[in-house]
Amino acid sequence: MKKLLMALALLAGGAQAQTLRIGMAAQDVGRLDPHFAVSTIDRVAVAWMFNGLVRFPPGSIDPARIEPDLAERWESSADGKTWTFFLRRGVQFHGGFGELTADDVVFSLRRAATASSSAFSADFRAFETIEAVDPHTVRIILRENVPSLLGIVTNYSGGYIVSRRAATERGDGFARAPIGTGPFALERVTPNASAELVAHAQYFRGAPQVQRISYRFIPSDASRDLAFQNRELDINYGRADQTWVTRNRALPGVTVDVFEPGELTILNLDTTRPPFNDIRIRQAVAHAVNRAEMVRWRGADVSREGQSLVPRGYLGFTADNGLLPFDLARARALLAEAGHPQGITIRVVHTQLPEMLSGMQVIQQQLRRAGITLDLQVVEHATFHQQIRQNLSPLVYYAAARFPVADIYLSQFFHGRARVGTPTAVTNFSHCSMADAQIDAARISTNPAEQLRLWAEAQNLLVRAVCGVPVMETLLVFARRNNVDYGYPLTGAMSLGPLITEATRITQ
Amino acid sequence: MTGFVARRLLASIPTLLAVLTLVFIIVRIVPGDPAMVILGDQATPEAAAALRARLGLDVPIWTQYLRFIGSALTGDFGASMVTSRPILEEVAAVLPHTVDLTLAAMLVGVVVGVPVGIWAALHRNGVIDVAARLLSLIGLSFPVFVSGIFLLLAFALHWRIFPVIGSAELSDIPDRLYKLVLPALTLGLVMAAYITRVTRSAMLASLSEDYIRTARAKGVPWRRVVWVHGLRNASLPIVTVVGLYVGILIGNSVLTEIVFNRPGLGKVIVGALNQRDYTMLQGLMVIYCFIIVVVNLITDLLYGVLDPRVKQA
Repeated sequence: MKKLLMALALLAGGAQAQTLRIGMAAQDVGRLDPHFAVSTIDRVAVAWMFNGLVRFPPGSIDPARIEPDLAERWESSADGKTWTFFLRRGVQFHGGFGELTADDVVFSLRRAATASSSAFSADFRAFETIEAVDPHTVRIILRENVPSLLGIVTNYSGGYIVSRRAATERGDGFARAPIGTGPFALERVTPNASAELVAHAQYFRGAPQVQRISYRFIPSDASRDLAFQNRELDINYGRADQTWVTRNRALPGVTVDVFEPGELTILNLDTTRPPFNDIRIRQAVAHAVNRAEMVRWRGADVSREGQSLVPRGYLGFTADNGLLPFDLARARALLAEAGHPQGITIRVVHTQLPEMLSGMQVIQQQLRRAGITLDLQVVEHATFHQQIRQNLSPLVYYAAARFPVADIYLSQFFHGRARVGTPTAVTNFSHCSMADAQIDAARISTNPAEQLRLWAEAQNLLVRAVCGVPVMETLLVFARRNNVDYGYPLTGAMSLGPLITEATRITQ
Repeated sequence: MTGFVARRLLASIPTLLAVLTLVFIIVRIVPGDPAMVILGDQATPEAAAALRARLGLDVPIWTQYLRFIGSALTGDFGASMVTSRPILEEVAAVLPHTVDLTLAAMLVGVVVGVPVGIWAALHRNGVIDVAARLLSLIGLSFPVFVSGIFLLLAFALHWRIFPVIGSAELSDIPDRLYKLVLPALTLGLVMAAYITRVTRSAMLASLSEDYIRTARAKGVPWRRVVWVHGLRNASLPIVTVVGLYVGILIGNSVLTEIVFNRPGLGKVIVGALNQRDYTMLQGLMVIYCFIIVVVNLITDLLYGVLDPRVKQA
C-alpha cells in the first residue's frame, strides 16, 4: 500500500522542476486587470505580469530611486506640467499581442484615469491630456503640478501598461486573461486553488530564469505553514507577528524577509460628533494609547511605533509634530475635566478580521485603564467598510499603506474633500479639514523645501487637533527557502509581496 | 419509474423558485457594497457609482429580481461580478473536486460505518459495542479542522506519505486520487461516526423483530439472518442518513477544503459571500439546491429498490 502511495506521489511530483511555488493567505484572486487590482493577493501577482513607464528598483520603495522601465528616458518642462516619455523599442506583449507602442501607453493611462474602468482614477485628477507624439513617444500635460508625476506612472496601481488590443478584445474577460509586458504571463487560474504563470521568453530584460510560478491560494495559516515546512512551497506569506517570525527563522534553510511599506494604524476620531467633538476626550484617548506596549505585543521585528499621521519614511514625514505621549494620569484628568470623572463608554464598529480585531482588543484594554470603555460592535469585514463610511462609528481603527509621499496619505485621510459621507469621500473618518490649505499648496508647489515645510505644518495641525492617534506601523513579512534568490535585496515592495523578476532563480 | 422521476422533478420546481427568491433577498439584505469590495478602500463615490451601473446594481430592485429569475429559468446565471467569468464556467472548474470529495467521503463513511454499526449491534453492550460508540462519539466531537490538521501532522509532516496541499489537476488522475486520501478520510470518518450509530440502532431494532426469531427458529444460518433479513430491513434509515448527509457534505466540506487547500463549491460560496459577489452567490445557491434535489431523488429511488412497498405507495 505504501509503495503504491509512493508511486502516486512520484507521478504527482513530476512537473515541479523550476516552478516557484508561492503560498498566499487568500481564498482566490479577484481581478488581475491591474487597474482593478486592489487586494494584496491581486497586487502581488499583477506586479509579475506588468510594467510601468518607470519603476521602483526591485526590492525598493524609495521614490528618489525611480528608474526607467518601459520608458528608456523622460523629460519634463520647466514648470513641471509637461512630461515626455520616450519608449523602449522592441518590447513585446505576452501571447503574441505584438510590440508595445505609444498607443498602448495612451490607452492604458486614459483607462486608468477613467472611473468606470479603474479603481485608481482619482490618482489622475491632475492629468489634462495624454497623447502619442509618435509611435514611441508619449506626452502628458498636467492641469496642475503633482508631488510625484513619476509616482503615478510607476509600476504601481494605475501606472501599469496593458495591451490595448487585448483589453479591447477581451473586455470584462481581461480581468482573468490579462496581457502585459512583464517577466511572467498568466497561463490559467484554477478558482480557489492557484494561478499558474509562465516565463515570458521575450521579456525585454531577458528571459526569466524561473520557468513557472505556481501562486497557491491557501487561506488557512496552519495549512500554509505546514505546506511550507513540508517543502511544498518555496515562498510563504507570513503574518506580521513576532511568534511567527521567530518560529520560521528557527526552521533550517529558511530566511524571513521583513520589508516596507509599513502599514500605519491610526485611531481616527470623528471630530464633528460627540464624544470626540470635545478635544479633551480626543486628547484623553491619545494619552491612553501606549505605543511601546503595542509594539511589544505585535513584535519588535515586525512593527514600530507610529510617530505621525503619515507613515515613517514617506516623503514629507515629520516626527516633530506635537504628538501627545502615553500618560494615563493625564488621560483620566482630561476625562474628568470633560465631565466624565467616572469614565465614558463609546460604541465602536469594528471588523472581525482577526489581525485587526486582535489589535483593537489590545487598544480596548489600554483605553479601559484610563476609564474609556469601547463597546465593540464586531461585524463582518465588508459590513465594517460600509458602516464606517456611513459615519456609524465615532472611532475608526484603520490600517493602510499608500504611495510613499505624504500628499497621498494626507489627502485621503485628512483633507476635507475626502470626508466620508460626502460626494468626494475617500477615507477621512475624522472629518478634519484644518490642514486643507497646506495639503493643497504642498501638492502644487514646485519648491521641494517649501513642499516639505507645508507637509510638516499640516501634520502639526492635524496631530495637535488629535484628528487621529497614530498607533503603530506593521511591516510586510514573507518567508522563503534559502535556495530562492530574488536577485536583489528585498527591503520594500509597493506590490506588497516579493517581486519575481528575470533575475530571480532557484538554486539547488 | 419515468413517471415517478418526472413527478419528483416537477415537484421540485416550486422549491427551486422559492430558493431563488430567498437567495436574491438574503444576499441583498447582508450589508456591504460589492462595488466598494471590488474597488478597494481608495475608491471615490464616483468610481463606485460607475461600477454599480456597470454591474446593473443601479436599477430598481424589482428589475434586478426579474432579470435574475428570467436568466435563471433559461439556465443563464450570468458572470461573476468580481472575476467577470461566466458562473457556470467557475462552477464547472471546481465541481469535479467537490464531487470527488463527496463521493470519496461517502465511500469511507459507508465502508467503515455500516460494518462497524452491524458489528456493534451484534455485540450489544460488549467491548466492541462500547468501543464503537466511544469512537463514533469522538468522531462526531472532533471538528474537521482539528482532525484534518492532526492527519496532516501525522501523514504529511511526520511520515511524509501525503502532501499538505490537496489540490490537483483534474486531468492527472493518479495525483487526484493521491491527494484525495486525507481529505476523504477527514470528512468520511465524521460521516462514518453517524452511520455507525444509525446502523447500530437500526440493526438492533431489526434483529428484535418477530421475523428474525422465526427465521432463526426455521434454522436459517445466523450469517444469512443478519445480512439478508436483518440488514435489508435496517437499510432504509441508513440510506436516509446517507442521502441527507451527502447534502450536508457538499455544503460542509468548506472546512476540509480550506485545511487541505482544495478547490470546491464550499470555498467558492464563502469567497462569494465575503466579496459580496451577488451573481455568483445566486448562481451557486441554485446549483446547490439542484444538487440537493437530485440527491433526494436518488435516495427516494433507492427506497423503492430496497422496499417495493414504497414504489407502490
